[in-house]
Amino acid sequence: MAALFLNDPAAGKGAGKYLTFILGGGAFGIPILKVREIIRLIEITPIPRMPDYVRGVVNLRGKIVPVIDLRMKFGLPTTATTNRSCIIVTLVTIASATKLMGLIVDAIDEVYQIHQEDIEPAPDFGKGAPTGYIQNMAKGKGHVKALLNIDQIVQDDHAILPLPSILTDKANSSR
Amino acid sequence: MSTLSEEQVGEIPLELKADLDADLVNEFISDAREQLENIEQGTLALEKNAQNQEVIHTLFRAFHTFKGNAGFLDLTAISQLAHMLESLLDGARENRLQINLVIIEIILKSRDTLQQFVDEIEAQNSGKKPRQIILIPTAALKVSMRHMLSDATAHPAKSVPGHTSESAPADMKAAPTPALSHDEAITANSAHMNGATPHLVKVATSKLDGLVDLAGELLIAQSLIVQNISSPTVNRHALSRNLDQLNRISKELQRTAMAMRMVPIRGTLQKMHRLVRDIAAKQKKNVQLILEGEDTEVDRTIVEKIADPLMHMVCNAIDHAIELPDRRAAMGKHPTGTIRIRAYHKSGNIIIEVEDDGVGLNRERILEKALANGLVKPGATPDEKELLSLILQPGFSTAAVVTNISGRGVGMDVVQKNIAKLRGKIDIKSTPGHGTTFTLRLPLTLAIIDGLIIRVGGQRYILPAIAVRESFHPKSGKVTSLPGGVEVVEMRKEIMPLLRLREHFHLMDGADDAGGGIMVVIETDGKKRCLLADELVGKQEVVIKNLGEVFQTDPMVSGGAILGDGCVGLILDASALVHLEPETKELKFAV
Repeated sequence: MAALFLNDPAAGKGAGKYLTFILGGGAFGIPILKVREIIRLIEITPIPRMPDYVRGVVNLRGKIVPVIDLRMKFGLPTTATTNRSCIIVTLVTIASATKLMGLIVDAIDEVYQIHQEDIEPAPDFGKGAPTGYIQNMAKGKGHVKALLNIDQIVQDDHAILPLPSILTDKANSSR
Repeated sequence: MSTLSEEQVGEIPLELKADLDADLVNEFISDAREQLENIEQGTLALEKNAQNQEVIHTLFRAFHTFKGNAGFLDLTAISQLAHMLESLLDGARENRLQINLVIIEIILKSRDTLQQFVDEIEAQNSGKKPRQIILIPTAALKVSMRHMLSDATAHPAKSVPGHTSESAPADMKAAPTPALSHDEAITANSAHMNGATPHLVKVATSKLDGLVDLAGELLIAQSLIVQNISSPTVNRHALSRNLDQLNRISKELQRTAMAMRMVPIRGTLQKMHRLVRDIAAKQKKNVQLILEGEDTEVDRTIVEKIADPLMHMVCNAIDHAIELPDRRAAMGKHPTGTIRIRAYHKSGNIIIEVEDDGVGLNRERILEKALANGLVKPGATPDEKELLSLILQPGFSTAAVVTNISGRGVGMDVVQKNIAKLRGKIDIKSTPGHGTTFTLRLPLTLAIIDGLIIRVGGQRYILPAIAVRESFHPKSGKVTSLPGGVEVVEMRKEIMPLLRLREHFHLMDGADDAGGGIMVVIETDGKKRCLLADELVGKQEVVIKNLGEVFQTDPMVSGGAILGDGCVGLILDASALVHLEPETKELKFAV
C-alpha cells in the first residue's frame, strides 16, 4: 500500500510527506509511509560477528527488530548518544518482502511536506562515490535535505557507505 | 445419468481464466486437498472391505463435491473426471457394479490425476508458475471407467468379482501391481505431503470459544487492577490477588493459543497406509500397518515435517526388515509382517514409535562396518545403545549391513538430521529375529524451548537445554593447547574441543571473572564441544522469535527470545556450535 502510494504518478515523483531527521549535523528525510514508529533508545542486544554498524536487535513489544546505526553506516564519527537520539522503526522492502528495521539517528526534526517544485535530483558528488541511496535533494527552509532510499541503504553490503561530506558540512555551517 | 456423450470424451485442456478470483481458487484448492485425502483413505478402506456401503457413500460424496467445486470454477477437465468417478461409485452404491481391485486401482489413479491438477492449479494460482494451459491426460481413465459402467449395465445382475477386469482395456489389466519403485513412491508421496501445506487452519469451535472467554477474563482482570491502583488507598492484598488472577489468565491464554496450532497426527499417519500398500506390493511382501494414537495432537509445523522421516522409516522397515512371506513362515512367524506406528504424549514430549517384527538389526555386522568405516576404534566395545545408534551416522548404509538387500535404502542419517532439526531424538531397540523399534521423541511445539541461559561478557545467550550435557568448573577439566591454537579440554578421559565464547563473540569489554567462568558441554549430531561461558544464569522456557531474514546468514544464532527483563536474548544453535571451524569470516548483513 505504501509502495503503491509512493509510485503513484499523480503524487509527483518524490513529492509528499517526509520524516526528517538530523545525523552528524546534516538533515535527511525518509518518506513518512516508510516509517512505522519512533522509539527512544532502548537496550540493544548485539549480534555476534556482524558488521559494526549492525548494532543488534531490540524487543519492540514482543517483535524482534534489527537496528542499524546510520552514523556508522555513513562512516561518520560516533558520538555519545543524547536524550534526543532515537530509533526510527522503518518498513523496508528486502527481496520483495517487507520487514521492520530500526535506524539510530541523532534527533528527529519534523514531518515535512515536500512539494514537487522543491525537489531536485541528487547532484553528482564526484569521486565515484556511490550515491544511489540518495534519491533526491529537497530545498526548503534555508537548507537542503537529502531524501534517502532506505531499502537500498539497508541492503548495501559495504561496511561503510561514504556520505558526501558536502551534505553534513554545509548543513553544519547553516545551523 | 452416467453416460457421457462422445464429444465430451478426449483430452480436455484446462485453463485458469485470468479473471478468476485467486481467493476462490485457493478455497477450491484447500477443499480439494481435503477431499483427495478422504478419497485416498476411503479407497484404501474399500480395498479391505469392498462391501462397506458407508465408505462407498463417503467416496461418492467426495467426488460429487469435487465435481461441483470444479464446475463452479469452470474447470471442465476436472469436473468431468470427477463426474465419471461419481458415476462409477453411484453404480457401486446401487449394486450395479461390484467393487474389485481393478476399480480400486482406477480410483486411486484418478485420484492421483486429480491431485496433479490441483498441484498445477496451485502453482499457477500462487504465481510460482506462469499461467498456461494444463494438459493432464484423463481420457484413458474415463474410457476405462465407461467400459466398466456399460459392462455393468449390460449385465445388470451382480457381477462376479473379476468380471469387470476381463472387459477392462488391456493396459488396465496390469494395474493392480503399482508401477512405482521404492524411491519413486517416496518422492511421489512426499510430493503430495509437502504440497498439502494448508493455507487455511481449521480450529475446533470449542478452542476458539475458550480463547474468546479468556480474552474477556483478561479484560476484567486488567480493569480490576487499574481500579486497584487508581483508588486512593491501594489495597495491597486485593492487588496481589488480582495480579495472581492476571498471571493465571495469561498462562491459560498462551496455552489455548498454542493449542490452536495443534492438530491430530492422524492425517500424517494415515498417509502411510498407501505407502505401505504400494511398497509391499512392489516387494511382494505381505505387510499390515497398525496405527495407534492417531488423535494425539502435535504442533502443525511438526506434523508437516515429521512426514518425510516417518516415510523413510516405514520404507526401510518394509524394504530391509520385513522378510518375504515364505521366509517368515519358515522362521515360525506369521507370513504377514506388521508395522506398528504408535503416537502418544509423555512428559511434555510427543513420542512416535515405529515398530516392525522383521529381522532386527545385526549387531556383529554393524560393528564390522563401523570398524571398516572408522566410526569405532579397534578394540572399543560400544554398549548396546551406542552400537545401534551407529546406523544413524552418515555413510552407514543399513541396506548393505543389516539385510544384504542391496540398494536403494534411504540412509538413516537423513532421518536423524530431520529429527534433530525438530529438536528431537531417536532411540533404537532391536531384538535379532524379532524386530526393531525406533522411538522418536519430539517437542510438542517448535515455538517454545527449554533454554539454559548463560552469560558471556555483558550479554546473555540461550542454549537449547536438550543439547546441554553437563557443566563443570574449569579447574576440574584439563585444558591443553594444541599446535595451531586449538584448545581441548580433558574431562573424565574424554577430550573435547574448547570454544571460548567471550573471545569468539568479541565480547572482551568486561573484566575477566575471578572464578574463571564455567564450562558447558553440548552434544548434538554425535559431536561434543565444550563452551567456556562466564556464568550460568538459569533455566527458563523461552518463546522462540525469528530474527528476520537479515540474520539468517548467521548459523550460530538460531533465533531470539524475550527474556524476563524485556531484553532480547539470542538463542545459540547447538549444531552450528559443534561444527564450528576455528576460523570464520565476518558475516554479511542483509541478503
